[in-house]
Order: sequence, then C-alpha cells, then structure tokens
Amino acid sequence: MLRRKLGMLVAASLLGATLCINAQAADKELVIGINDALTGPGAVYGLPQANAVQMGADEINASGGIKAGGDTYKLRVISNDDKANPTEATNSARKLIDRDGVKYLLGFCCSGSTSAVASFIERENVVMLVGNAAERAITAKGIPNLFRTRPPADFTGSAAGVFVAKRGVKTIAVIGSLDVSFYTQYLEAFEREFAKSGGKILAKETFGLKDRDMTPQLTKVRALNPEALLVLGYVEPSAFVYRQAIELGMKMPRYGFTSGSEEQFLRVASSEQMEGVWDLRPTELTVEALNANAKTYVANYTKKFGAPPSPSSPYAYDQLYVLKQAIERAGSADDPKKVIAEIRKLGVPREAVMKYLPVGGMMFDVNGQAYTSNGAFQWQKGKWVYVADLPSDPAAYSQFLLSLRK
Amino acid sequence: MIVEILQQMLNGLAIGSVYTLIALGLTVVFGILGIAHFAHGSVAMSGGYLTFVFTERLGMSFFPAMAMAMLAGAVVGLLIERLAYRPVRDAPHINAFIIALGLTMMIEGINLLVFGADQVVIQTPYRGVFDVGGIAVAELRLQVIMTTVVLIGVIAYLISRTKTGKSIRAVAQNRPAAVLMGVNVNQVSAVVFSVSSALGAAAGALVGALLAIAPGVGEGLAVKGFAVLILGGLGSIPGAIVGGLVLGVSESLAAGFISSAYKDVIAFLVMIFVLLFRPEGLLGKRS
Amino acid sequence: MRPSLQSFGIAGLVVAALCLPWVVTVPYFLQLIILALIWVVLAQGQNLIQGFTGYVSIAQAGFMGVGAYCSTLLTVKLGWSVWLTLGIAPLFTAFFAVLVGYPSLRVKGHYFAIVTLAYNMVIYIILFTYAALTGGEAGISSVPRPADISIGGVVLSFSGRIGYYYLVLAAAGLATLICALILHSRVGRILVAIRQNETLTEAIGVSAWRYKLFAFVVSASLAGLAGALYAHFIGFLNPDPFGVDQSLNAILAVILGGSGTLMGPVVGAFAVVFLPEYLRVAETYRLVMYGLILVVATIFMPRGLVPLAAQLGQRLVAAFRKTNG
Repeated sequence: MLRRKLGMLVAASLLGATLCINAQAADKELVIGINDALTGPGAVYGLPQANAVQMGADEINASGGIKAGGDTYKLRVISNDDKANPTEATNSARKLIDRDGVKYLLGFCCSGSTSAVASFIERENVVMLVGNAAERAITAKGIPNLFRTRPPADFTGSAAGVFVAKRGVKTIAVIGSLDVSFYTQYLEAFEREFAKSGGKILAKETFGLKDRDMTPQLTKVRALNPEALLVLGYVEPSAFVYRQAIELGMKMPRYGFTSGSEEQFLRVASSEQMEGVWDLRPTELTVEALNANAKTYVANYTKKFGAPPSPSSPYAYDQLYVLKQAIERAGSADDPKKVIAEIRKLGVPREAVMKYLPVGGMMFDVNGQAYTSNGAFQWQKGKWVYVADLPSDPAAYSQFLLSLRK
Repeated sequence: MIVEILQQMLNGLAIGSVYTLIALGLTVVFGILGIAHFAHGSVAMSGGYLTFVFTERLGMSFFPAMAMAMLAGAVVGLLIERLAYRPVRDAPHINAFIIALGLTMMIEGINLLVFGADQVVIQTPYRGVFDVGGIAVAELRLQVIMTTVVLIGVIAYLISRTKTGKSIRAVAQNRPAAVLMGVNVNQVSAVVFSVSSALGAAAGALVGALLAIAPGVGEGLAVKGFAVLILGGLGSIPGAIVGGLVLGVSESLAAGFISSAYKDVIAFLVMIFVLLFRPEGLLGKRS
Repeated sequence: MRPSLQSFGIAGLVVAALCLPWVVTVPYFLQLIILALIWVVLAQGQNLIQGFTGYVSIAQAGFMGVGAYCSTLLTVKLGWSVWLTLGIAPLFTAFFAVLVGYPSLRVKGHYFAIVTLAYNMVIYIILFTYAALTGGEAGISSVPRPADISIGGVVLSFSGRIGYYYLVLAAAGLATLICALILHSRVGRILVAIRQNETLTEAIGVSAWRYKLFAFVVSASLAGLAGALYAHFIGFLNPDPFGVDQSLNAILAVILGGSGTLMGPVVGAFAVVFLPEYLRVAETYRLVMYGLILVVATIFMPRGLVPLAAQLGQRLVAAFRKTNG
C-alpha cells in the first residue's frame, strides 16, 4: 500500500517536473524588422546599422533570448532594403507590418525615407525606433510610438559653433549639401553661436549628394580668403571636398560634420590630404571617448563582418538593447503600448555603446528623443582621434524641440 | 579675380575633356549609323570599373590598365553592335532607341552585379600640385587633358589617313552610294562601335581617377554627352571636341560665379536653348 | 446577336475590379494594387505619346512630379480641398507641358527623346534644390487624403485603403476612356499616321506639329493626375520618385504591355509594380532582366504582350471552332 502511494507520488512529481520544464522551455519567437538603406547612396549609413542589429540579435539569442513574464523570446530579424527612397520605405514598412506581423521596426538611417514612414506610423500599433536619420522634424511632431537614438543635427550644430569660435576663428566659409534640411539646421544653429562671438560666415556654397567635383565651389571660396572651412555633407562627397581643397592649394583648417570611418575616407583621399581635418559630431563610435562596450562592439563587428563598423552604426545596436530592456520590464512583447510606456521610463541600458546624456534621468525625453554627447574629432596620421567634448545642453534643447510642435 | 576665372577655366578643361571623349564616342555612332547610343554612358562606366579592378587587384599602373579596359570596351562594342543594334537596323528608328534604353539597363545591372553598388575611386600616383602664378594646377588634371589630346589625335589619324577611315567617311556621307561602291557596311558598323566603346572606356577610366564611378553616373554622362552633340552638331567630330570643352568650362564658370546648386542644369539649359535657336549646333551644317 | 468575347471579357474585368477589395486577404496586396492603378494612369499617358504617336518621351516621371507637387502645395500650404486640386494638378501640368513641348516638338525622333530626358533632369534638380518651396530632400509630410463625401446619408471615406482603391480605379478607368476616345477619333488616326510616316502626313497638308503637341500635353496631364493621386496616397512627398529611372519604367511598361493598344498599358503598369515584388529575391538581377526584356521584346515582339496574347487568343478560338465543326 505504501509502495503504491510512494510510486504515485514519484510519478506525480515526475509528471509535474516535466510539465514545469516544458512550460519554462516555452520559447517564443519575436520578429523584429529593419527598414534601412542596404544599397544605394544611403548604404554607407544603413547597411552597418542593419548589421549591428543582426549582431545584437545573435548576441541576445546566444545568451538565452529576452526573458519577459515567464516567456523567453528568441529574436528573428527581417531586413528590408528601402534604398533611402520614400516609396520603397513606405512599401517595405507596410510589408513588415501587414504581411510579416512585425511590431518593432528598427534601423532608419536616412531622413527622406524615415519621414515617409513616420507620416503614417502613428496609425499603426507598432514601435518605430529611428537611428541615424538626422532630420529634426522626425521627433518634433510628438509621434507617441516613435523614438530616436540619434540627436537632431542642430543639437550638434550649436555646440560646434561655440567650439570653432573658441578656437579663434573669425571668418569661415561653408560648403555643404545645403538643400538637405538637417544640414541647414546644423548650419543655422552653428551660425547663431558663431555669431555670438563675432564670427562671420563669408559664403554658403552647395553641392548635391551625388556631386563629386566641387572645385568650382572651392575655387570661389578660396578667393574670399576665409580663416577656415566648414564642410557639411555625406561621407562620399565630403571626402572629395577635402581632397580637392588640398589640390587647389588651400591650407586653412577644415572643420566638418560628415561622420565617416577612416576606411570610407581613405577610399577617396590619402591620409596626408586628410591630415588635420576636424569632425564636429555626436560622440559616435570612437573607442577612446566611449566605454568598454565600444571596444567590444568594434572587435565583434569587425570579426563578424570583415570591416570595421561605421561611426553611427551603434545607434541601431543601442535601439535593440533599449527594446530588450523595455520588453523585459513590460513583461511581454505582445503589447506595443506597454513596451512604449516602459521605453519612456527607461534609463540608459548598460549594454549601450554610445554615451547618452539623460534628460530628467531618462534616456528619452518627452519628444521620444535621446541625446548623445557631442565631440570634436581630428584626423591625425590616418586615424580619427577624439580631442575634446563639445559642451551641450540636452535639457534646454528638449524644451526647444517641444516648442516646435504646432 | 583673373586668377579665379583662370582657375575655374582650368578646372573646367579637365572635366570638359571627359565630356569630349564621351561625345566623340556618341557622335561617331550617331553620325555614321544614325543611332542615339544612350547606353554609351554605362559602357564608359564598365571601362572605369575594369580599370579599377586592374589597378587594385592586378596591381597594374594606371595607363596600362586603361589600355586594357579600352580593349575590353572595343570587344563590348562589337558585341553590342552585332547582337543588339544590327537586328533592328532596318526597323523604325524608335526601335533602336528602345534598344539603347534596354542596353543601358542591362549594362547598369551587370555593373551593379559584378562591381557592387559602392562608389569606386581609382587611385593614381599623380598627386602633385603646381602653383602657377596663384593658379593651382593639379598633376592629375593635366594628365586627363593630355590623354584626351592623344586619343583625339589617334582618332583623327584613323579617320583621315587609313582605308577603314575612308570607308567610314563614305558611309557617313552617303550610305547607299557607299554600298554600291562595295563598302562593307557591316564591317564599318563594327569598327565604329568598337572605336566608340573604346573611347568610352577611356573616358570612364579618367572619370574614375578624377572623380568617382558609381551607379547612375553613366546616365548623367550620357545625357551631357548628348548635350555636347547638340551643342556641337550631331555627327560632327570637331563639334564634339569644341562642345565638350565649352560645356566643361561653362559649367565650372557658372558654378563658380552664378550658383553651385544649379550647376548641372547648365548643360540642359544650353541644350534646350541651342535646339530652340540653332538646332544644327554651333559647328553643324544646316540641313 | 451574340455578345462578342471582348465585351464578355470587359464586363468580367469590371465586375472583378469592383469586388476586388473584398476578395483580397492581405492588406499589403491592396497597397500594391493601388500603386499599380496609379501607374495605369501614367502608362496610358506614356502610351499616347509613345505608342500611338511614336515619340518616346523620357519626361513622364518629371510631369508626374509637377502634378504631385502642384496638388500637394495647394493643399498643404493653402489649405485647398483635395478634390479641387486633383482636378487642378492635371491642368497645371498640361500648361507646363505646353511650355516644354513647344521647343521639344520642333525636333524629331532621337533629339526629342534626349530633350525630354533633359527636361526630366531639370525638373528633378529644381524639385530637389528649390527646397524653400518643395521641402527638398526632406520632403513634405502629412499630405492629406481627399475629404469624405456623404451621399444621402452614406459616408464614403477615402482615408482608408479601400476608399482610395475605388478612387484610383475610377481614375484609371477615366484615363483608359480618354485614350480610347482619342484613338477612335480623327485625331487618333492622324497620330497613328504620324507614327507610321510623318513626312507623308505633312506632305498631305496636315500640320503634324499641332497634333504632336496635343498628344504630348494630354500625356503629360495624365502624368500630373497620377502624381497627385500618388502624393495624396503615400502621404509624404519628396523628389525621389520623379527621376529619370521612373520615366524609363514608364517606357518599359508600355513596351511590355503593348505599344499602341488600350489594354497594353494596364498590363504593363501592373507588371512594373508587381514584378519587383516577386523578383525581390533576385533584386540584383532585376535591372539586367528589365533591360534584357526590353531588348529581346523590341527585336522579337516589337508590338508587346497584349497583341501577342490577342494573337494567341485568336488562334485558340479558331482552333476551338474548327474542332467543333
């Protein structure tokens, strides 16, 4: 009699244990979508972002997935190429949402395509995490389900203006992709601060994204004899500006807002031609300025993809870890609204690579915007070297951004 | 002020040389065969990409690499003529144009497949800059201009002094008469296309060294090439030479003194203007 | 009197088109169909100048941009009603086309194509650079949908995809109707005569230039309508979609479907919108494939798919009739 009861007890426990184990091994799949420029002129920014998210997803899966409310989520990433084109971006975002049932969209390197998606995303029950796209209007509209890790261009522009003025520059000539509004916004903010110290902008020359011959503009600027040059543009054309300035015998200091890796610049200009060039931008991926995470990130990325990561790629990597932490806190990945509520309260995740400046103790401000510190980098003997921090005030800027909502 | 103008002009001559080479390739095909070979820009790009591969992967120096690319270009020209244009030679003109568009897509697509979507810059050892009275003369730009002069010389010799050149001129003047005189039109077609594509490949190599090669650049070059043709007169070789240099210099001066934002528009406005008032071009003959 | 196969076909197509939104299960599909119908309007326009008249215009995407920005700026900046601007956009584009067409149509064949190409590039550059007006690359967001219409208590809404589908369906039908009317009129016959032999047409005293301008202007206004419909659908507008590549796609659509037929542009438009979706796997091969199709089609079947299919259809019907005595 006792033996039978013992036997039943053992059987029951075994059954119970098996059931418990099975319940714990309830692995769910969380599909996340990347909408980014994987080919075309935006790919210098978009492809590294997509790679970074993929790498992050693999890391998370390898360490057991996202554990939220008793479920474990393994990540699966769908990458769509929007070619930095608004129609493509709309279509591919629609496909992710309608056809693939994706609730979390990451990536977004380029402003035109990002704005197109942002214009309808409010109607959808999804979360949109924007990376490298610098157009201010994206977070100026107060879209509740949109968050951006990269600060708007003019946040960096004013800090840059102060810096250049402090270096004793009194006259500067600007050459940039001035029909792209985030560069114009950077310039406006730069000019405001630069003028406060009596600085003057002698010329504002434009070049197109696809232009490669800027010698006419540079020749014109050379005749004006400015003390320094300010270059605002995507990596590829800007590299030509730097090279052609030297070819025209221009020796004044060159400041810029371009954000490209050493490798990207060296494809166009020699290291000697780049020597001394400044880049005044968010303190993106530079190993000296950032923490140990940055070193690990660079090493892992280079090993996995055979080339170093672009400086802005961590904006996407960090998006993934923001998402992970928010889902863990929300207790499930099924309700985007709960996840959004958690993102709003989040501090900076410990795996984040970029150095963020929290506003009111939280990573994202009331506009859904995060702020990274700004830095002055200089090309020295073939490498970008972090020289100094650019003093910035995220709280003040956050209020300014809020005031732009109509 | 003078220095600035001269500097702009010098800059413009270099890019103008490239336009001239492209236009030469287009004008021989149009003048002799009546085909608006729009795909020429993409063929030029292929030449540029090939030169890049030869210099980077095979370690060749620039001019030998360019010569090899020109050879490859000549072969491509032969293939295009035989397989794509000859079948529609006697069909309505519009068909040849559609073929040109189709070829453009194909060659752009092949370039994309084989060479990727990233921009390509050919590194050359010519990095010197000479100061001539305040004007910065970049060694690379001089090389581009001189190469173009040499190639023009070669073409001129080919057309005026060789027997093939004579056949080509005969077909250009009067095709039925040339056929009656025993000229092999097929052979002339083939030669014209090879020469044209070889010139295109050279232009591509020079663009790759001076600026960059990327998807979409070929199209822009082809359009500018046609602008030169219209400016200089469709089918006129001297017109292509003068027109190319004029376009390059005007673009530079306009960008420097009027507005850099609308630089590319200059070429098109010139084209439209010429068509309105002197459709046969600056050096063409009134028909 | 036996109703012809053709009228059955058309009736069937109309019924299918009307029921479509209720049959389609995946909403993404409807998105593509709406884009394809917008393309039908564009392609019918392209067919008018290219297929009927024989002049290849490479400016269709540029005109689409003109119409798109016209309608968008009037609604976003001046607050005008979308219904009004959907009507104004084609008219404005037509006016613009007269300015463009006047110098271009003085030249023939190849010159004409290249000049239209130049115009497209100029339009594109201006849209991009004149950012104060057009918003440049950053574009214009929140482009509104047409306002709801209430008819006797029933509210028709166009903010969702189903409502917009019917709108573009009507537009595509209208475009096809306009081209049908032109084709079967005296004007149409002259256009076809111009395509076949312009010199002869002029020799018998017809002022070809006027008819060419007419075709060019109507074709451009259809492009303008397509552009406006596009802008209000996507809700965001920037110059990207109006470059030369899109004009080349319009040419491809007409060639693929069948130059000079009425259903050809419809088939071509759907092909151009749907093929990239299904060839997405071979995205890198797509350009080569398109080019190859153009070349092969022009050499071996210069009249396009629809006439080919019609020929096949006729052969099948004839064979069927034979076997049935």
